[in-house]
Amino acid sequence: MPIPNGGLITETNRQYYAGAQQFNTAATASVGQTFTSTFDTNLAFSGSDPASVGYNQNNFKIFTSPDANTWTELVPTSVISSTTGKNTAAIVNVGNPVALPLTVTNPDVLKDMTVVNASTGAVYGTVLVDLPIGNTNVSCNITTQIPASTDLRFQFASPWTEANNIVTVNAKLPASTYLKIQMNDDALGDMHGSYEYTRLDDIINNFLIAYVGPGKLIPSVKRTDVIFHAKRGLQEFSYDTLKSVKSQELTIPENLSLIIPQDYVNYVRLSFVDNMGVQHTIFPANELTLRPYATPAQDNDGVPTQDSANSNLETTSQITKKWDNNNPRKISGAYLNDYSIADVYWTSYYDGALGQRYGLNPETSQRNGWFIIDDRKGLFAFSSNLKEKLIILEYISDGNAYDLDARIPKMAEEALYAHILYSILSTSVGVQEYIVQRFKRERSAKLRNAKIRLSNLKLDQIVQVMRNKSKWIKY
Amino acid sequence: MAINVNTVYQTVLLILNKEQRGYMTPVEFNKIGAQAQSEIFGTYFESLNQQLRVPQPNADYADRVVNLDEKISIFKEIGNATSISSSNVFTLPQQFSGTSSVLNMVTAPTQTAAQTQYVMGNNGSGVTISADQANNGVIQVFQNGILVADSLYSVSGKNINYYSNPTTVGQTILVNYYPKEFYRLGQVLYQVGALSTEELQRVDRGELYHLLSSNLTKPTTTNPIYTYENNQITVYPTSINGGVSVSYIRKPIPPVWNFNTGGSNQYLYEASKSFDFELHPSEQVELITRILLYAGVVVKNPEVIQVAASQIQQENINQKS
Repeated sequence: MPIPNGGLITETNRQYYAGAQQFNTAATASVGQTFTSTFDTNLAFSGSDPASVGYNQNNFKIFTSPDANTWTELVPTSVISSTTGKNTAAIVNVGNPVALPLTVTNPDVLKDMTVVNASTGAVYGTVLVDLPIGNTNVSCNITTQIPASTDLRFQFASPWTEANNIVTVNAKLPASTYLKIQMNDDALGDMHGSYEYTRLDDIINNFLIAYVGPGKLIPSVKRTDVIFHAKRGLQEFSYDTLKSVKSQELTIPENLSLIIPQDYVNYVRLSFVDNMGVQHTIFPANELTLRPYATPAQDNDGVPTQDSANSNLETTSQITKKWDNNNPRKISGAYLNDYSIADVYWTSYYDGALGQRYGLNPETSQRNGWFIIDDRKGLFAFSSNLKEKLIILEYISDGNAYDLDARIPKMAEEALYAHILYSILSTSVGVQEYIVQRFKRERSAKLRNAKIRLSNLKLDQIVQVMRNKSKWIKY
Repeated sequence: MAINVNTVYQTVLLILNKEQRGYMTPVEFNKIGAQAQSEIFGTYFESLNQQLRVPQPNADYADRVVNLDEKISIFKEIGNATSISSSNVFTLPQQFSGTSSVLNMVTAPTQTAAQTQYVMGNNGSGVTISADQANNGVIQVFQNGILVADSLYSVSGKNINYYSNPTTVGQTILVNYYPKEFYRLGQVLYQVGALSTEELQRVDRGELYHLLSSNLTKPTTTNPIYTYENNQITVYPTSINGGVSVSYIRKPIPPVWNFNTGGSNQYLYEASKSFDFELHPSEQVELITRILLYAGVVVKNPEVIQVAASQIQQENINQKS
């Protein structure tokens, strides 16, 4: 089934797996040929010259091939988009138009090509018209004087461009050859597994088709209302229903703090990772310490002092300093020959009961470390035993941060329709309360279903867990 | 798919002349015909609104919404909105300029060789039309005074392209051009390159501020919006300055019953200079009745007015009950 045949899949196998779409060029060699991308992912283009700043922002590359077997990237210096020549033993002065005399005629010198020094790459000007066959004088706009007998290269500074998913090749493509759009690895990673999701735009369009119109409960609704409720629904679902797919691998620096991710809404779990790659949950230091929101400088009477702009002066937090310098073993109750131990019922060596602990506090009895959220500075702060440790931060966003986020798992698609439907009906005038209640229950039921589906409870896994519990589960 | 203007005129005259009630001149008929056509056309939209609120039978030919849509479909058009100075402000297609409703008669030279493509010339008085006007007008082609069926040719710019060689050499190809006039705005769509088509939502100036300020609903190229003011649409986000098309309803073109003068100075109908009523054929009876209503006023005959008015009323009751 390599070819999309009217189902929901619109990409070929090759587009999906290899990120490549291949085209045949025209039967006659020509410039300005266009090729339309049919990837589900929109093409992103900033430049076709690898030397240009924007090139790395492209999410694809263009390749050409004479046989669809050996592929060459199409860049300004490619054989297809450039040619060489040498001017005669005469200096070519600045001017527009100016005849650039070549030693040998070259039919591959085309309009809009840039004239550059073949060795240094210095730009001399641009070609104004195609070099007529048999002619050696190239009509150019010369902006920098060309020394006599210089080896020149004529090239398309931008051999291809892209706009709105249509690639236009400025270079002259040979007749009946092949061209390929190849997505970059990053883009390919985003494409893989995308069938699991439905785009929010599709949800909105589907909703307007299926739920809105004459003879339906919602005869008419503004598209912006649907967009609002869809996005709000996606936000709400992101908090407690949808899978948490956001995570960052980070190393804790010397200052023991990390900036909260840009699209962060709440954390799921922070873990440090040991040498075997196994996660160990880092716990929040909720009741152990706190990052103060303000640290006003006080005078001797304890009154906050102000600066010349009438604002309170701030000092460095003493609490933060103490927390950063503490020894977490004193909190967790790990063996430590020390009297100063917080929050642990500990009997020390001098009490004659070495190694014995009484009344272990399970909340603090862990050695994975602590983290705390500094809301004022937008930081995660960590206990000192995590310095330079590798951690993984799992968190949730709201599904609206980036365009790629604006999608919902198909498992929760129906729940989102129900959410939009209920939200619109419950805020509309003249809808009977029993109808509102019906859709409230429907939304609730479908959301529950979505949660169960997305929790991925598989029978095999349950059986495996129960095997050491002296229970037999038949399946 | 039109109502023959001569049939209507002759029927009206027949009814009026019965018992010597009076006579309606072609000029009067053309004016009253246009009025009656506009009246009937104007009722479609209110009727559609009423019928959309009524459950319809899912049966062929009996669904009133479908039937009304069929009548309106004759006047449905899609055209490109033109950006003003590459801005996000667009003019609508076929905005009535005040003079474009004049009927233009554009003729091509007499056919000198068998060919499938003919270029529209001028109307003999030096009046020509542009390719854009031709694309946005109603075109009728006559060969030696006989109307050529739409299915036999297509119009591309100023070219008339016959699908097959049109008959013999030496015929006069006459092209009548009638400019379309914008009536009511429908959907506004945005589509560039190979990106998917997006529908723009119409918003009031009052909503615009809130929408632009809201993070969740602010317009994007995938959810664009527009305001419609002063016959122009202003599209948001402002980065959109092309690729906007609109579906719209155009006005019916006024009917023309044109004539030559016969040997006894009588009026002889001339089809190639006339233009039929554009309404759906099912409107013929109502059209005649409405013309008769006005004709009764013209000839000052209360009986005609009364009969026509009651018949129109009865028909309205039937259509909406």
